[in-house]
Amino acid sequence: MFPTIFDQSTVPVLEQMIGFAQARHEVLAGNIANFDTPGYKVRDLSVDAFQSRLQEAIEARNEQHMEVSPGLLKKEPVQEMQKVRETFKNIEFHDGSDISIEHQVTELTKNQFMHNLAISIMTSQFQLLQTAISERV
Amino acid sequence: MITALDISTSALVAQRVRLNAISSNIANMSTLRNENGEMEPYKARYPIFKVDDKIRTEHGAAGVKVERIETEDVEPQYKYQPNHPLAIKEGDKKGYVAYPNINMTREFVDALEATRAYEANIGVMEVSKNLGQQTLRILA
Repeated sequence: MFPTIFDQSTVPVLEQMIGFAQARHEVLAGNIANFDTPGYKVRDLSVDAFQSRLQEAIEARNEQHMEVSPGLLKKEPVQEMQKVRETFKNIEFHDGSDISIEHQVTELTKNQFMHNLAISIMTSQFQLLQTAISERV
Repeated sequence: MITALDISTSALVAQRVRLNAISSNIANMSTLRNENGEMEPYKARYPIFKVDDKIRTEHGAAGVKVERIETEDVEPQYKYQPNHPLAIKEGDKKGYVAYPNINMTREFVDALEATRAYEANIGVMEVSKNLGQQTLRILA
């Protein structure tokens, strides 16, 4: 029962966004901590890779509702989300030019904004569910 | 996606490069030799800013970048010191030593301007962040 309540909403997608934002936060915080370390190369997680995988996972989930012809394997939604979670570990190394501490702080801020946005939307989703359960607005 | 935050960041980086050049000028006010050890009085350096096409939003707002660092081409200051080991040996400047011609007042005023520009851009970033937070309050 529990999987079906949340699979129809945006909660699994938002959950991935929050997880990605937290993983990226750690990588960027490590950059600032190692600012003076000699030979340190700035790292980041690829936002584009994450977004394209997430897009694929959403489309795969939407395809679930289409008719499955015999002999065709249905893609498990859990597998798709697993692939999205793999992008959390895709650390990219920058070549060291034009990277300054102001850039790191800006990326942290933008990441934080995405994280807070996903949490706010998730909160309002749960509030909707709460309203439906208690039948009181 | 390029946002206002990225544009302000490019300005912060550019102003910091400018401040680095100014502190280099003031530190080297009396430097007589260049990096290779040759006899060449220090000439003031300053960055040239340019609009950055790579940091551009779809409506035309653009960031800034440092195009190159220019070396100022002014005559050095000459002081008559015939017994100085680096005095000029021949020519009409014989006995003179060439010192850098750095205008301290101008450097300090430029440093002030760079600091104020840096603070102004940080102020703009605060406003952008505020906009984002207010938007989130719609949901709460």
